[in-house]
Order: sequence, then structure tokens, then C-alpha cells
Amino acid sequence: MNLTHAANLTLIDWLIMLVYFAFVLGIGFALKRYMRTSNDFFLAGRSIPAWVCGLAFISANLGAQEVIGMGASGAKYGIITSHFYWIGAVPAMCFVGIFMMPFYYGSKARSVPEYLRMRFDEKTRALNAVSFAVMTVFSSGISMYAMALLIQTLGLFHGIIPDQYIFHLSIVLSALIVLGYIFLGGLTSAIYNEVLQFFLIVAGFAPLVWIGLRNVGGWDGIKHTLPVSMTHSWRGMAHASTNSLGVEWVGLAMGLGFVLSFGYWCTDFLVIQRAMVADSEVSARRVPLIAAIPKMFFPFLVILPGLIAVSVTSNMAGAGSGAGNQTSMTRPAGSAPVPLDEAHPHGIIPEKIDPISGHAVLSTDGTPVYNYDLAIPVMLLHYFPTGILGLGLTALLASFMSGMAGNVTAFNTVWTYDIYQAYINKKGTDAHYLWMGRMATIGGIVLSIGAAYAATSFNNIMDALQLIFSMVNAPLFATFLLGMFWKRTTGHGAFAGLVSGTGAALLHHGLSLPADATPGIHGAWIHLVHTYPSDMAQNFWTAIFAFTVNMVVTAVVSMATEARPESELVGLVYSLTPKPVETHLEWWQKPATLAIAVLVMLVALNLVFA
Amino acid sequence: MGLDIRIPLGMIFLIIGGIMSAFGFYSRHSSLYDRSLGVNLNMTWGLIMFVFGLVMYVVGKRQKWQDDPVTPRPWERTGSKHGH
Repeated sequence: MNLTHAANLTLIDWLIMLVYFAFVLGIGFALKRYMRTSNDFFLAGRSIPAWVCGLAFISANLGAQEVIGMGASGAKYGIITSHFYWIGAVPAMCFVGIFMMPFYYGSKARSVPEYLRMRFDEKTRALNAVSFAVMTVFSSGISMYAMALLIQTLGLFHGIIPDQYIFHLSIVLSALIVLGYIFLGGLTSAIYNEVLQFFLIVAGFAPLVWIGLRNVGGWDGIKHTLPVSMTHSWRGMAHASTNSLGVEWVGLAMGLGFVLSFGYWCTDFLVIQRAMVADSEVSARRVPLIAAIPKMFFPFLVILPGLIAVSVTSNMAGAGSGAGNQTSMTRPAGSAPVPLDEAHPHGIIPEKIDPISGHAVLSTDGTPVYNYDLAIPVMLLHYFPTGILGLGLTALLASFMSGMAGNVTAFNTVWTYDIYQAYINKKGTDAHYLWMGRMATIGGIVLSIGAAYAATSFNNIMDALQLIFSMVNAPLFATFLLGMFWKRTTGHGAFAGLVSGTGAALLHHGLSLPADATPGIHGAWIHLVHTYPSDMAQNFWTAIFAFTVNMVVTAVVSMATEARPESELVGLVYSLTPKPVETHLEWWQKPATLAIAVLVMLVALNLVFA
Repeated sequence: MGLDIRIPLGMIFLIIGGIMSAFGFYSRHSSLYDRSLGVNLNMTWGLIMFVFGLVMYVVGKRQKWQDDPVTPRPWERTGSKHGH
């Protein structure tokens, strides 16, 4: 355990956290009486306004992977990490809102797998439902694991309960809270809590960034302190060897910007579910577009703290031992800051401590290894006095819980509608499915706990998640793209494509390896054929391979099999569906206008930080 | 759905903002704030959160539809365009 960074919490911090937990559960209780039917529980009665769905849409995605992983990447790689938000999310969010939402919402499908059954056939739905259910359980478990590990590392309960029980208690507590509010209030409760979490995350991290920037001399100060490659998002992208991600622009644009990002934002039921419950089709189309606006600016809340953490040098306030004196708090005007000469400055990032031996972890050449995952938590402890520290920790815990809850609600819906109702009990009453949804919530949480303990064997949260996404999500987008926009695509084609796409992902992962990794979980478990400069490059290319194989196989098999009559595909395929009626909307109310505004902002942001 | 999210959202910001600003006022001369470069983050940020909470709460209370126990589904609403 790393108690050198132990949080020194006072009553006021605990009080703030307690208020949050009381509200989280209180919302569940307040909504319980509205859960009359399975439709209320799983689809929030399709009555939620667009802005609420929009905030839930990004909040559900704002789990452990985002806050801890992005802060860590920011500290390690720099502002280049914002590609995960900019080209890695926003274009896909615009696409799903404008082009795909009419089919998801208009077809009245209750889940993404159910859309696949309507468009293709039963086996395609089954494959998607099962793989998705497994993935949500893993994601939720990883969130839970990351949260427990963080609570243990920060020593939140240190001195209150024996140290060896902290990890287990954190798992149980987080599981019970998430279970409580979903069990009571279903998806509505999860969505409402996600909105609460969104505002708390902003409220907790915005002052952190503000005070941090003040300390390091603003963005200009960071630019002076850090290497050029860390403060520009597009510099050196021509070759894999000249940027910190180890990816060239083709791999970035195709792998992340197209395959992975569209595969996630356009097909993942976890996020799509938030848009499907909007109160009208126009609202549903606006949901991802509304979500894209805060999403674009989230790098400033989650990546920037990582950059600030590595920019803080020992002559600044609070760095090293406690508080500094007044004169060194802000950089004196006119004095040239000294750039760090190391390639990877570490600022206040702590060294990695072996949790068992308690000694610092050393790399093979004897240099210390830094624990970048602690970038944001360390920033909170560094700058926040007691009081607002409670708020900062609440924001952190909120992000973990929203990630977990998002997965659990997606799991209980897919389990109940696409697995239980489809294959186990077709003739149950609505009350029975409502009951099953609640049972599935318990089951999902129990499985997540299992996954959380399984995750203890993975060292890097991001690696594990990316691996799962590459295998399951990457080929998926090809299926939806062909299914929605090419009426000739058949069920056999889609199924064969999905299976071979996932197979291709596995094969590619089994034959390639990132540089400086050993064969095994990181790849090359079949045979080492190709080495990539970084694990990200490997992930991106795995996704590109999976997508391409799926596309080709689906097209070939579709041509060889019999297509469904066109009359059955109305409302499911682009060319056979009437365009959404927008005549009652002014030009500025149309989803397309919002999408264009979002894309213009995106280009502007990229130019500013190019 | 029957509960307007702005009401609990407003309430939690009122309470947390209130706690923070009261504590910030009480501890305004403390050396606690050396850590945050001399800025009393509890008081300033607490007040901002309090005001935000107040606005959300008032706006949420002004919406009348939250008292309606049964919100009609989109396909149950006959001929009416959506809106709350």
C-alpha cells in the first residue's frame, strides 16, 4: 500500500461524500413508484428530455477508463491524448445522431441486439447480445476494481478499518450502492444519477484545473516546461516514430477515428440506450449531438490535470514537502521557466509501489517506474484543502459509479429482452419481466464483482478495456453500416461477417506484439509475426483488420444468399425508409444544423492545439 | 418521468455548496489554503455551486409537469407534438 499519498480527510470531506451517497440512493427511492411496467424500468418510459439523455450519454461513458486512464495518458503522452475525444468520439457521435438514430428509435427496437433481429435474424441478435452482455460485465467489473484499488491506494479508510479489508469493503460498498439505485428506479434512476454525476465531475475538476493552471503559469507555462511533442496534438503524426503514441496518422484516423470510435459510439447499447429513451425521434437524434459538446471540452477536465501534474516542478507551491512560501506560488513575470530536460518529466507523479512488498518498482535498467494512473488523484491531494477535497473525491467516485451503472443497466436490458425473453421464457407477463430485470441487476452486479477480482491480474485498465473493445466492437460497425445502408445485406452475411471479424481480431492480436512487451496477454500468443511501436498502434490495427474482414465476408456471403423482401425492411434500411420529417422545425432546430456547429467547433479546437 | 432531475440536482448543489462556503467562511484565516495558492476554494467555489444549485432548483420547481404521475408515451400522445 502506498500511504505516502494518503488522504488526510476530515469530517467535512466525509460529510460531502455522505450527502452525495444519500442523494444517489434517494433518487432511486423517489423513482420507485414510477416503475409500473418493464417499459418504465428498461426504457424509462421513453419520456426523458433530450438534454438529460445527452448528459447521461457521455456520463455513462465517463467511467474509470476515462478519468484515471485519460489523466494517466495525459501525463504520459500529453495533449495528443485528446484525439480519443476529438477524432475518437465527436465525428462518430454526429454520425449516429444524424444517420443511425432514425433506425434505432424509429424501429421501436428496445435494444441494439433487438434491432439486429429485426434487420437480420435471430442468430445475429444472439451473438451480439451474448458478446455484449459479457463485455458490460467486464467493463463494470474493471470500474469496480479500479475504484477499490484507488480507495486503497489513497488510504481513504486508513485508520478506520484494518488495511487488508479496504479493497474488499470498497468493492462491496460500491456494488451495494449501484445495486440499490438501479434495483429501485431502473434506467431512469441510472440516467438521473448520471446527470448528477456529470455536474459533480465538472464541479470537482474545474477548480482543480483552474488552480493547477495558475500554479504552472497557464497553458503557456506548460508549453515552456514540457517537450513540444506533449503540447501539440498533431505534430509528428506523419510517422509512428515521431510522436508519443507510436501511431502514424493513417492508423490514428482509420483505427481510432473510424473503426474503434464508430464501433463504440454507433453500436454500443450502453450509450445508444440513453438516446433510445428520449421523448421523441427528434430528441433522440439530438442526444448524441448534445453530448458531443461537453465531450469535446472534457480533455480540459481529465487530460489537462495529467499535463499539469507533470509540469509542476519543485520550486512551485506545495510540491515536495507541504506548502511553499508566497513568493514561489506563481511564476514571477518575465522570468524564463527552465524546461525539463528529460524526455518524460514526472512532476508530482509518484513512483509505483509494489502493493505486496511496499518497495518502489524498478524497470529493468534500474530506473524508477512512475504510477501515471495516480495523476488525477495526486493532483486532488496536492491542491485541494479539506472541504473541496471531499468534493473532488466525490467527483472521482461519481465517475466510477456512473461507469458501473451504465454497464449494469445495459446488461439487465439485454439479458431480459434479448436473452431471457428471446430464448428462455417467451410467454412471461410484463410483471414477470420487470421482476427478471431486477434479478438481472443483482446478477449483473454479482458477475461484476467476479470480474473485478479477475481484473486484479491485469496491470493496466486501458489495455484490458481496449483489448475487449477491439475484439467485440471493431467488427460490429461494419455489420451496422452494411445493414443500415445496403439493403442487399442478409442475415447469414451479417452473422458470418461478425464471426470472422472477431476471429480476425483474435488472429491479429495473436500474431502481433507491441515493442517492449512479452508474448502473452499483450499479443503474439500464437506466433510473433509483426511488432508494432506501441500497444495503441497494435490495438488500432487489430480493429482495422477486424472491420475489413467483417466487411468483405458480409458482402460476399450476402451476395451468395437470398435477400429479404424489401417490404420487410422498411424503417430498417436507409434507402427504404422515408426521411425524417423536419418541416415543423426551424433551420436552427434541425439536428443537422447542430451537427454542423459541433463539427465546426471540433475543427477549431484541433487547429488551436495542432 | 414524474421527477424533474433539476430538483435533486439543485438540492445537492445547494447542500454541498452551502457546506463548503460555510466551512470556507469559518476557516478563512487558516493556513489550510496555502495548498491552493492562498485561494479560499471552499468559500468561492462553494458559493458558485450554491448559486448554480439555486438556479436549477427554481427552474425545476417552475415546471408543472413533474406532478403528473403518468407521462404519456410518445405513441400514446394523440396528435400533440412533444414538449413538457
